[in-house]
Amino acid sequence: MTAVESGPAAGTQSGSHSGVGRFLGQSVKRREDARLVTGHGRYLEDVLWPDAAHVAFLRSPVARGRITTLDVSAAAALPGVRAVLTGAELNPLAKSFWQTAMGKDSPQPPRRLLAADDVRYAGEPIAMVLADSRYLAEDALELIDLDIDAQPAVVSDHRGVWGAAKDEELVHPEYGSNVASTLPYPGMPTENPALEEVLSSAAHVFEERFHQHRYICVPMETRGLQARWDPARDMLEIVSSTQNVHEVRSMVARLLGLSDLQVQARAEDVGGAFGLKCFVDKEELAVAAAAYSQQCAVAWIEDRNENLVAGGHSRTEDLTVTMATDADGKILGIKGHHVEDVGAYPTYGVGGNAGLAMMMLPGPYDVGQYFYSAEAVFSNTCGMTPYRGPFLMETVAREQLVDIAAAKLGIDPLEFRRRNMITPEQLPFSTPTGLVLETITPIETLDQAAEIIGYEDFRREQAAAREEGRILGIGFASYIEGSPAFGAAGAEQVTVRMDMAGKALVFMGSGSHGQSVETTMAQVVAEELGIDIDDVRIIQGDTTSAPYGTGTAGSRTATTFGGAARIAGQKLKEKILAVAAVALEASPDDLEVSDGVVSVKGTPGAAVTIEQVAAMAYAGHTMLPPEMEPGLEAKHRIRNPPLMFSNACHAAIVEIDRDTGAVDIKRYVVSEDCGNMINPMVVEGQITGGVVQGIGGVFYEHFVYDGDGNPLTTTFLDYLLPTAADVPDIEIGHVVTPSNTPGGFKPMGEGGAICSPPALINAVRDALAPFGGLPNVQPLTPEVVLDVIDGTAAV
Amino acid sequence: MKPAPFTYEAPTTLAEAVDVLGRYGDEAKVLAGGQSLVPVLALRLARFEALVDLNRVDELAYVREDDGAVVIGAMTRQATVEADPLVARSVPVLAEATRLIGHFQIRNRGTLGGSIAHGDPAAEYPAVVTALDATVTVAGPGGQRQIAATDLYDGPMTSTLSDDEILAAVSFPVWGPGSGFAVREMARREGDFATAGTVVGVTVADGKISRAAISLFGMGPVPLRARAAEAHLVGADASGLDLTEVGAAAVADVDPPSDVHASGRYRTRVASRLVARALESALQEANR
Repeated sequence: MTAVESGPAAGTQSGSHSGVGRFLGQSVKRREDARLVTGHGRYLEDVLWPDAAHVAFLRSPVARGRITTLDVSAAAALPGVRAVLTGAELNPLAKSFWQTAMGKDSPQPPRRLLAADDVRYAGEPIAMVLADSRYLAEDALELIDLDIDAQPAVVSDHRGVWGAAKDEELVHPEYGSNVASTLPYPGMPTENPALEEVLSSAAHVFEERFHQHRYICVPMETRGLQARWDPARDMLEIVSSTQNVHEVRSMVARLLGLSDLQVQARAEDVGGAFGLKCFVDKEELAVAAAAYSQQCAVAWIEDRNENLVAGGHSRTEDLTVTMATDADGKILGIKGHHVEDVGAYPTYGVGGNAGLAMMMLPGPYDVGQYFYSAEAVFSNTCGMTPYRGPFLMETVAREQLVDIAAAKLGIDPLEFRRRNMITPEQLPFSTPTGLVLETITPIETLDQAAEIIGYEDFRREQAAAREEGRILGIGFASYIEGSPAFGAAGAEQVTVRMDMAGKALVFMGSGSHGQSVETTMAQVVAEELGIDIDDVRIIQGDTTSAPYGTGTAGSRTATTFGGAARIAGQKLKEKILAVAAVALEASPDDLEVSDGVVSVKGTPGAAVTIEQVAAMAYAGHTMLPPEMEPGLEAKHRIRNPPLMFSNACHAAIVEIDRDTGAVDIKRYVVSEDCGNMINPMVVEGQITGGVVQGIGGVFYEHFVYDGDGNPLTTTFLDYLLPTAADVPDIEIGHVVTPSNTPGGFKPMGEGGAICSPPALINAVRDALAPFGGLPNVQPLTPEVVLDVIDGTAAV
Repeated sequence: MKPAPFTYEAPTTLAEAVDVLGRYGDEAKVLAGGQSLVPVLALRLARFEALVDLNRVDELAYVREDDGAVVIGAMTRQATVEADPLVARSVPVLAEATRLIGHFQIRNRGTLGGSIAHGDPAAEYPAVVTALDATVTVAGPGGQRQIAATDLYDGPMTSTLSDDEILAAVSFPVWGPGSGFAVREMARREGDFATAGTVVGVTVADGKISRAAISLFGMGPVPLRARAAEAHLVGADASGLDLTEVGAAAVADVDPPSDVHASGRYRTRVASRLVARALESALQEANR
């Protein structure tokens, strides 16, 4: 059942199982690329309406304070300015303000479109200028008279030093506390007595607090939205750079008290998102509200400075993990305590990822007893938003503690993992949090990663290098990627429509922003229908044509949309055969479809083309049996499990410059098992992109606030993204164990970002072992590393 | 991130440029490659009534030999400097330093004069001219004058040029036989401004160091010369030097800044090691 391939960049899967066909399982070149890499992509900026008023936001220069003066009259008088709106005008338009996935009754901070009376983070929008151009709008901003009486800000996060949750200074006085949420939820047990017993009696107990700094999505295309209220049509038309057009429609309709029928939303090409565009935040809603209130077209494209300061922030958390083992290093129990900084206005609910981190902390291990607690706190900083692998702290912390414990026990870190990993014999395995793991392969992927990177050889090379004074290290990390598909997200629909020319239009509620959806989903449908991939076109990102859906997020596209596409394709194929059976006077069971031709098995001369079948299905309906509905269209709305899983192991080799502390990543290996791959090249591209984000997070990217809540890394001069020069070749091996969902696909879009941080940190920790311990800080700047080498760590 | 309104002036000769600039005084800014100025304008961190664009002043783009020196026009693109055979032969450390400036796209547009006039204390070119004792020619309403590179800066991104002067050319003295050079920098990423860096030049005659220059960048408000360490080197035997000691001497009196990328303490430590590495490399080159 399981096919194992070693070696990087496998071109296709082996043909020994059902996952491979003419198109499925093949590294079909991305159909999107011809336009995207030649400058013919069409982004929001490319489709701005010529009559749209351009928006610039006046943003708070301080983290917390009372607005004492806000006079926009001079700005409003500037020629070319159409309007200057403040919270006083705009906020009353907001009838209802909540994200669909959270529901209207979930707790959340008091929402507002624009700051009124006070400000709660640096960058919070206070007023919006609508002008003939963005230039003029920014000129007008300078004419706004704003005074703020600054107050002490509640700020946390810098190198693990938390100063948050000062309850005498409330981020949201209306909320009554700076604690946004806690785990266990009220009514759940507040401890696990069996775990406490294990911790007090185990041979070894290890406890570490790991810190993860603030780093953020940074898509190439920033957020943006244009909206036009057309009273004659009773319609608000929206174009947005989004992962989820239906959520744009729902949010705007709810906000303005319109019906879903009065709002249309669509997306063009979306230049990346990484989670930032799952939800709809205040700036986008303010633009829609302005279009509605001013009865005109309004456009806003976030600039890079806004994107960094106010586009939604991520990570920013501590996770303390306590682990008990027996004398041989067998894990007996794990306890986690998670503290997250969700900023002032997390985009969804009260933010926080602890609920999912709690489910995933045990990872690919049989951990015995378990307990998890958490606290999310508000601060006067930009709110939390999802970023690829939002709950990855569970893997970041666990995989570091595994290495630390193994080192203290004198056990090889790979051996420690093998002793504790869930074995094939244990499957299906029920985790302490009630997840049922059916098809995971943690030991196989660990072994494959070790083989590709040459673990034993490296240890010899490392020993020799240390003799020469060189500093080399290797790090591994393993994880289970859990893809949440709760509620509507687990029930996506695909509709396949074949018109009279016999070509397939595929309608989906997905929102591709770099996932190759136009390629992979066409592979699935072409495979099922027996037609050429060029005769399939994917239509998505438009509420007027797509089935209702929740967009592309959470690594669900292959499993939910792919599964639905497969079944919808099968249904349509059945219909094609039924119609062809009439034409060929044969039984549908005796027919086959290949290369766009339906023929009688064994009698190739008795055949009709799909085009002929399609023409008959519509125009020749009088020939069809009375019980058969004319036309060629099929749909399927899938029902997927609420969580689906894949697994992988990452391994990194680093070399450190002992004079500067600079880290050079010499090798990077991934072994993954995402089940049947629709397109191995796309799988590898997803992994590579995620790993690059992990490299950025560990070594370069850090959004920094000073102690007063002033953002310090407001341009790319200071917020450092990894470039091609900082990234090694990513070598990828595949283990293929199909899942039990239609198609045998598994979720894998976020794993590269989830597992790379601990693999890289573990490699640095291993390299620095001769110099003493690496402190549990992030990012690993050259200074942090050099302080370990020189024995000069700051207190 | 859209600049405030400005008037755009595009002279085609140096004389015309000086004339136009003189009309605005400190209300105008000279635009060369724009790699630093344009982002600053877009962020509205600075604003000017006018930009005087030198990109059409062809007479300012050249590399030539002149009386034992290599003279480079201010509007010569960094990519041109990087590839120029005369520079490679006569001022090799200038070519070496050029490769550390940004990325090739930036060097295609960025100019030698723009970088030197802008005077970012963490940039490579100001440190090169400081180390090599280059001379800058500036043109103003009263004609041209020369400024020694070591007198060019009086603060971060502040030069001693008057508001009505344009940096026209830079003259790099060609050091004699037996000379060697090196540039070393620590940057967070390939192409970034240096966290700390150094340019070193030495001349060795009969086994002894006869001339030494060490400049530091990213280490203070302006590019610095490590005079004490240089004095320590001149007259010393080229072999058997304690490079670590020279490195330590080079940073003994500096007080580098701290920022989000590194503390001053880190910069000091790394700069001393970079000086040692650069000196080792320069001495090897001098002895070839």
